[in-house]
Amino acid sequence: MSSNLLSIYVLIWPVLVAGVLIVLVRAFLSEVRAARKNGRPMI
Amino acid sequence: MQLQHLGTPLTLFLLLLFFGITFVITLSIGKKRENADNYMTAGNQVGFGISAASMTATWIWASSLYASATSGYTYGVSGPIHYGLWGALMILFIYPFGKRIRSLAPHAHTLAEILHARHGRSSQLILAGSNILGSLLSLASNFIAGGALIAMLSPLSFSTGILIIASGVLLYTLWSGLRASILTDFIQVCAMLGAVIIIVPAVFLAAGGTTIFETGAVNLTPEQQDFFSSEAFFNQGAPYIAAVLAYAIGNQTIAQRLFAVREDKIKPTFITATVGYGATVIGVGMLGVLALYLGIEPMNGDPNNLVPQLAASYLNVGLLCVFFIMIIGSMASTADSDLSALSSIMMTDVYGRNIAEPGKADPKLMLLIGRVTMIAATGAAIYIASNRLNILELLVLVGAIWGALVFPVIASFYWSRVSNAAFTISVLAALAVFFPVRFGWIELTGTIAVISDFLAVIGVGVIAGLMAFGFFGRRVGLLVGVIAAGITLPSGMGFLHTYPVLTASLLAYSVSSILCTAISLGSQTKFDFDTIRAETGRFDRAPQHS
Repeated sequence: MSSNLLSIYVLIWPVLVAGVLIVLVRAFLSEVRAARKNGRPMI
Repeated sequence: MQLQHLGTPLTLFLLLLFFGITFVITLSIGKKRENADNYMTAGNQVGFGISAASMTATWIWASSLYASATSGYTYGVSGPIHYGLWGALMILFIYPFGKRIRSLAPHAHTLAEILHARHGRSSQLILAGSNILGSLLSLASNFIAGGALIAMLSPLSFSTGILIIASGVLLYTLWSGLRASILTDFIQVCAMLGAVIIIVPAVFLAAGGTTIFETGAVNLTPEQQDFFSSEAFFNQGAPYIAAVLAYAIGNQTIAQRLFAVREDKIKPTFITATVGYGATVIGVGMLGVLALYLGIEPMNGDPNNLVPQLAASYLNVGLLCVFFIMIIGSMASTADSDLSALSSIMMTDVYGRNIAEPGKADPKLMLLIGRVTMIAATGAAIYIASNRLNILELLVLVGAIWGALVFPVIASFYWSRVSNAAFTISVLAALAVFFPVRFGWIELTGTIAVISDFLAVIGVGVIAGLMAFGFFGRRVGLLVGVIAAGITLPSGMGFLHTYPVLTASLLAYSVSSILCTAISLGSQTKFDFDTIRAETGRFDRAPQHS
């Protein structure tokens, strides 16, 4: 594998992690809003 | 290269900050709603965001981050994939079974509790016993990882490190059990994932960026440079594929989250956790690959030191603090899940379903038992951790032992003819075959090697068949199993026994599957699955919040 491809191979994982983190945070915030709206605890 | 250190005041400040914030978060959980069921299952109504974060945080533990980097360092570019990808896919493969289990017993607390309803006491206690052993070792392993990290990055000793970590985790988990564990998991997973996003590129750039691969290629063997390395597959990937399906079935921490999440959110939760776990663990594993290219020797010859060593070599104090929080977060999130799982097993499987009279379990006494269990388990794990046993090796062993349980447990949830005798005999017989092979008490030569290889090939078919069965049903499962065994047969005969660790795991699968199937085929009993729902009901009589 060339150096550039290996670099992409190493750095692609933090990008994927960032995507997952965005999904989790957005879902969490929407659950917080829904819980507040309905006057219910999160858990 | 000079290693960066955190001083004692900074280390103590970070630990105080981390556990202080975590504890304050748990205080937001209302004590007025406390009852035994919520303590164990968080009311079965947890949303997607928190559940997916919790599943990801629980599956990622400090040792998995270290082990992925070790795999990268040992096997080269494909190493982290052979650790992280298979572990991630196993979360996905367990999803259809999880859905089935939840539909059979929507208000259950543990997997062993469902086995009690399905088969009776012996099956339940076999699974509960293996769960307790696994969770206790996992807890000790996390304490060791935390203590070792503190000892490496600060002037504090290993023993002081494990005492601080153990006290911090116990403090907030004791408060509200699974609810505390799940809620804090969200904060911990944000810290972990955020750290991976920053630290992997930071180390890559600080170590030289793209030039690492140009100047360091001489440090790798051709096998380590090969993305399709057979050595990496047979030594790391294949045994891991065999073990991780068993982890997902045998590990109560995953089952507990399965019972906590809203039923309609099980699928997105498992898919997100699969991607989150895979990307995080493989990402950290890339640090091991970088260390290999850079020609770094692990400190004291221990590959587990690689990740902290790289961090201390290439990160400034600020980023080293971020790294420190990432590892403490990964350690705490799994440790609190283990404590929560252990308390649920003692509350449900020991007291609720065995000591208390049917229908008369006292929820208040259960809560006390749960909290006392957490304290006792923490003490036991500190003792094990202080002796610095090779916990990772013990955990791999427990995972392989769980291999004997996978087929009988799954079959019990689908096939009405599986009896308590079929379950118990098949598991015990599989373990009786597993141990002598795993520890080399019998030599795999001559006829024994031929029989062992043949059974191991069947084991390959069982694993592949179970994976396909979960998603596509019995016919496809059988077909895939037969095809996988057929493909493996020519190359596996005369070959598989040369990998005894892998062979032992495969034998555990095949022997338990063959015996469980044979005994069940000879049985005339037909179990009514609808009875499970009623027998795994709630312990608290008060109406639930839903």
